[in-house]
Amino acid sequence: MAQKVVLEPDVQFIREVNKRGGDTLKKCFQCATCSVVCPISPENKPFPRKEMIDASWGLSGKLVSDVDVWLCHQCGDCSVKCPRGARPGDVLGAIRNYAIEYYAKPKVLAKWVNDPKMLPALVAIPVVLFLVVGLITGLLHFKPVPLHEGVISHGDFFSSWLVDIIFIPTFTFAAVVFLLGLKNFVTDLHSSAVREGKVTVQTINWKEFLLAAPKVLLTIVKHEKFTECGENSDRATTHMMVLYGFIGLFIVTGFFFLVLYGSMFAQYLAHGDFFGYAYKHAWHSPYSQWNPVKWLANISGIALLVGSLVMMKNRLTKDPRHAKTSYQDWYLVGLVFLLAVTGLGAEMTRLAGAAGLTYFVYFLHLVCVFCLFAYTPFSKLAHLVYRTVAMIYAEYAGREAKKA
Amino acid sequence: MTQEQGAARASGSIMVVGGGISGLTAALEAAEVGHEVFIVEKLPYLGGRVSQLNNYFPKLCPPTCGLEINFRRIKDNPNIKVFTMAEVTKVTGTPGNYETTVKISPRYVNDNCTACGDCAKASQTEIPNEFNFGMDKTKAAYLPYPMAFPLRYVISPQVIGTEDAKRIKEACKYNAVELDMEPKTIKLPVASIIWATGWQPYDATKIDNLGFGRHKNIITNMMMERLASPSGPTKGNIVRPSDQKAPESIAFVQCAGSRDENHLPYCSYICCMASLKHVAYIRELYPKAKCHIFYIDLRAPGNRYEKFYKKFKDDPNTVFIKGKVAEVLEDTATGDITVVAENAVTGEKISQKVNMVVLATGMEPSAAETKLPADLKFTDDGFILNDYAKGGMFAAGCAAKPADVVSSNQHATGMALHAIQTLVNR
Repeated sequence: MAQKVVLEPDVQFIREVNKRGGDTLKKCFQCATCSVVCPISPENKPFPRKEMIDASWGLSGKLVSDVDVWLCHQCGDCSVKCPRGARPGDVLGAIRNYAIEYYAKPKVLAKWVNDPKMLPALVAIPVVLFLVVGLITGLLHFKPVPLHEGVISHGDFFSSWLVDIIFIPTFTFAAVVFLLGLKNFVTDLHSSAVREGKVTVQTINWKEFLLAAPKVLLTIVKHEKFTECGENSDRATTHMMVLYGFIGLFIVTGFFFLVLYGSMFAQYLAHGDFFGYAYKHAWHSPYSQWNPVKWLANISGIALLVGSLVMMKNRLTKDPRHAKTSYQDWYLVGLVFLLAVTGLGAEMTRLAGAAGLTYFVYFLHLVCVFCLFAYTPFSKLAHLVYRTVAMIYAEYAGREAKKA
Repeated sequence: MTQEQGAARASGSIMVVGGGISGLTAALEAAEVGHEVFIVEKLPYLGGRVSQLNNYFPKLCPPTCGLEINFRRIKDNPNIKVFTMAEVTKVTGTPGNYETTVKISPRYVNDNCTACGDCAKASQTEIPNEFNFGMDKTKAAYLPYPMAFPLRYVISPQVIGTEDAKRIKEACKYNAVELDMEPKTIKLPVASIIWATGWQPYDATKIDNLGFGRHKNIITNMMMERLASPSGPTKGNIVRPSDQKAPESIAFVQCAGSRDENHLPYCSYICCMASLKHVAYIRELYPKAKCHIFYIDLRAPGNRYEKFYKKFKDDPNTVFIKGKVAEVLEDTATGDITVVAENAVTGEKISQKVNMVVLATGMEPSAAETKLPADLKFTDDGFILNDYAKGGMFAAGCAAKPADVVSSNQHATGMALHAIQTLVNR
């Protein structure tokens, strides 16, 4: 039966895919080698051949709601075997990047994060914010008085209060942006998957959806999808280092936070004077190097540093015919590297007793942390949330991956 | 200028490198208007790739029908001199005045040979039969193929100096075996050179995801020609290599190595029609066998080829699937092969199990592997770029571009004219 289909090509979308590392998109001649060589593509409506033609036709709406775009782990097998050098792996990466921007609000911030020209402005935001809020509240001390004699503490310079006044709202902001994006994301994923005949479930049962999460989270923690990759299976190691590094540092930060406010609260109950006595006698950082929490912090920092360094090296030595590194890729791996360098650097300079230097490096570190928190929903790092959710959806809705 | 004046001014000879269909055509076109032509052929026989085919387009006749008449014309034409087992090793000079060096390898058989075959009967050494892509063996004294021209046996250098060579010599009643034949180098001054060096099938073992060389029942399209040919290893029975069983299902993998930047980036032009032709061979032997053709785009250029394609388009036992095969699996128990592709029309992944797989491998110019010893320009892929402004040397047929027999002949005729013009303008 002849069916009339009207396509509405989004030409701007094609330009965006080109800019974000998918510049080879139009080379594709639809031979479908990619869908077959992909080690993790499903049997039913495999990717990425169909994504390649959808992108070529500028079907942005279809692609941002395509769960398969997120099931792709950019192994690169497709790009290596592609007879035309169309690099489907990179094209799907570009589509993901576009989708992140599509679901993120405010749009203007998303545009900035993905535009190299706006990078100075993005960095300036935390610098100005820290200085202004710090000076207004008086919590930023350029001539710090040590809380404990003879101990350099970053908190004496940049008060823990100041850190939390800024970072708790920033973190909350990121979480809200994610939640708003996710709501649309999951709805779109599902309606698209139903329309394309990829799944059998008609309406989402949220309880079962959540029950699918543990299995997927375990897959992610074990990097099982990565190790199924052919060409880039070595990436699993560096990605694991960075992910575990972040998890470790998240635990450490949470621990510091709970201990600080827990002890402060305990002092307050015993002695009153929350901001004076209780604050002074609470358990502040820095922790001793013998403290196991510190071990975890150090190991995690080193994991981030080594992981991001090897990632950069791998990207620089990769055959450009098979993979290209976009600005979005460099932004993220660069940020991870700087986080590690400034974090470890602040610690080293502190232990070396270089007070002025260590305060400066700590300031840089806080700028990096702000960029990490505030810009995550708009940057490549948003895959942490979107891919996880897409994988849970696929697991729940029965979009099965290829059987080994 | 009148024709007579032009012809009167022409002087010098034309060398044609390669004795395949393009070389033969160019040589005959030039010789039959009165020019002296040297054909230099690397192999012991003329006919090239066409001689290996079972049938060839446009009329699907066996190679005998086209080649035989050409051989006859060469035999009858005193203007043509043929050198077989000969390779051009050096070309110096300028258009109109080339000095060429030709190395002739020993055949160990002189022209007393009547092709009686007694030497082959006497020989006890077997060597892989290159003409049949190693699918069978020949004796160390062999006739490359039944209608080989020149119709003379060849002795493999492998047996020279062995007992077998003695047996071969003793068996010959006509004193045709010359075991002390030495390689010869000759110099030929020519005015113009036509490079008709042709092509070779792309080495399918390089396409690692298509399993050739690992799985027995995966063959190439040129091997299919030999299987279908009455003079081939199976006397024309198309059977699969692992167990000589008649196939009930066959998959054709189009663009095996062609249109692929990792292999041959260009379209080899002939493979779509070759596979359709193979379907025709199979239909004749096995009317009910299932044929699955996996393609990216089917190219049937021109009205005649289009009509041929339509013949099979409606055949219920011939299935066309738009999607390139990118993975093959062998069932080790049965020897069957599963080919995996995505049907780009339906978006479903297909795993098709078949008895036998034919890889439609493409054409690689001969010059891609062995560099030609002349000042020629090449494309990145090894095809010769004709420089008409410079003139003097011209590539004809598949040395210049992938082509079928018809277009090769047309091209070769044009190049013969260019060569003649070089002679006239000397």
